[in-house]
Amino acid sequence: MPLEILLILVVLGIASIAVMLHLSGRSKRARLTAESAGAAWERHFPDDQVTGVIAAQDGHAALVTTSAGVGLVWAFGADTVARHLVEVDLDDTTRGLRFRFSDFTAPSVRVALAPEERQLWRNTIQAT
Amino acid sequence: MTDTLSFPDPTQLAVPFFVAAILAEFIWIAVKGRGGRYETRDAVTSLIMGAGSVASGLLLGFLAYGFFMLLWALTPLDLGTSVGVFILCFVLDDLRYYWVHRFGHRIRWVWASHVNHHSSQHYNLTTALRQTWTGTFTFMMIVRAPLILLGFHPAIVLLCGGLNLIYQFWIHTEAIGKMPRWFEAVMNTPSHHRVHHGRNPRYLDCNYAGVFIVWDKMFGTFVPEQDSEKVDYGLVHNLGSFNPLRVAFHEWIGIFRDVVQPGLTVRQRLSYAFGPPGYSHDGSRDTSETIKAKHLVRNPQDRGSPGFTQ
Ligand SMILES: [Zn+2]
Ligand SMILES: [Zn+2]
Repeated sequence: MPLEILLILVVLGIASIAVMLHLSGRSKRARLTAESAGAAWERHFPDDQVTGVIAAQDGHAALVTTSAGVGLVWAFGADTVARHLVEVDLDDTTRGLRFRFSDFTAPSVRVALAPEERQLWRNTIQAT
Repeated sequence: MTDTLSFPDPTQLAVPFFVAAILAEFIWIAVKGRGGRYETRDAVTSLIMGAGSVASGLLLGFLAYGFFMLLWALTPLDLGTSVGVFILCFVLDDLRYYWVHRFGHRIRWVWASHVNHHSSQHYNLTTALRQTWTGTFTFMMIVRAPLILLGFHPAIVLLCGGLNLIYQFWIHTEAIGKMPRWFEAVMNTPSHHRVHHGRNPRYLDCNYAGVFIVWDKMFGTFVPEQDSEKVDYGLVHNLGSFNPLRVAFHEWIGIFRDVVQPGLTVRQRLSYAFGPPGYSHDGSRDTSETIKAKHLVRNPQDRGSPGFTQ
């Protein structure tokens, strides 16, 4: 089979599976409550003791205070990913905050936050 | 005469079958409401990794092939192409797979290539296609050298390797619980391989088998799936990006950053590249041993149970 045709088939194949998954509701992001965010943190970092959780109102991220400092847990597709907030830059975006980690495996995360939430999050992060 | 022996690459011919099986698994899950999970971006990343892996094979495969043909020119032995030789080659190549795979989890240089196969938090047939782009750089083709020097033609060895990978496709599913007892005893199965994809401390570094699970039982790395402990798929430190380039290269970049940091001894630099994943010169990271040890401190009742017997 000529390489061009193979390439077209592969691109079409992947695209049609993507469309099928998306249209059947498989793009839903994980939703986090204070309780489930704490559990998600302990799944990623079983050595940490979670002392407090502030879940974002949209349910797609949470700020977690732990025995090892503050961390962010966020929806990663249907699952979650978590990182301690070390070597992180915070930017304001029109819809909330952007976390930029110095981590090749998790470069940046946008968290949607209402203005009053954003202030609470910034205060919590700066307090540590 | 057998110098010109060649077979088509079975993994490429199997692509239509892979696509059909993925559709069938997806529909099965949708109809039954159990037996696995699919997620759009996760699946797309896995499929792109699979396509990239085939592309990488087309671009770099000549290196391993050239190495094998060189060995073939050197060896005075030629076992021919009988069915018996083919079966023996398949079994021995599966033993080769076991050790390459075990190195892939215990030597960071090889893990840097293999890690992407474990980088999904899902476990479905698309996960099977999440294959490495950088296998050539691990130099693990060396482990195949004895087979060729023993007189197995490189084309037969490569065909066996391709069939081995095709076998492993169907075991990446949660839709199948357990196979019949005799099958579970001898063959690698969805149950055994789910365990291999687990990030639970209990399930780290076990079930390296390709086709025959007997190697794990022989070499003491077998851990059966526990009804009491569901497998948590993915990496100890899960990735926060679906970008295939980050998935493919992140651990190589991690090795580079660790090796060039100032103030290390030569031994420490070598350990960052060739020690076990999670090695750190200052003990700031966890290896699978320390992860298991810390788990036992939190859960002393697990000591001595499967996965915690060392
Ligand atoms: Zn593996
Ligand atoms: Zn696998």
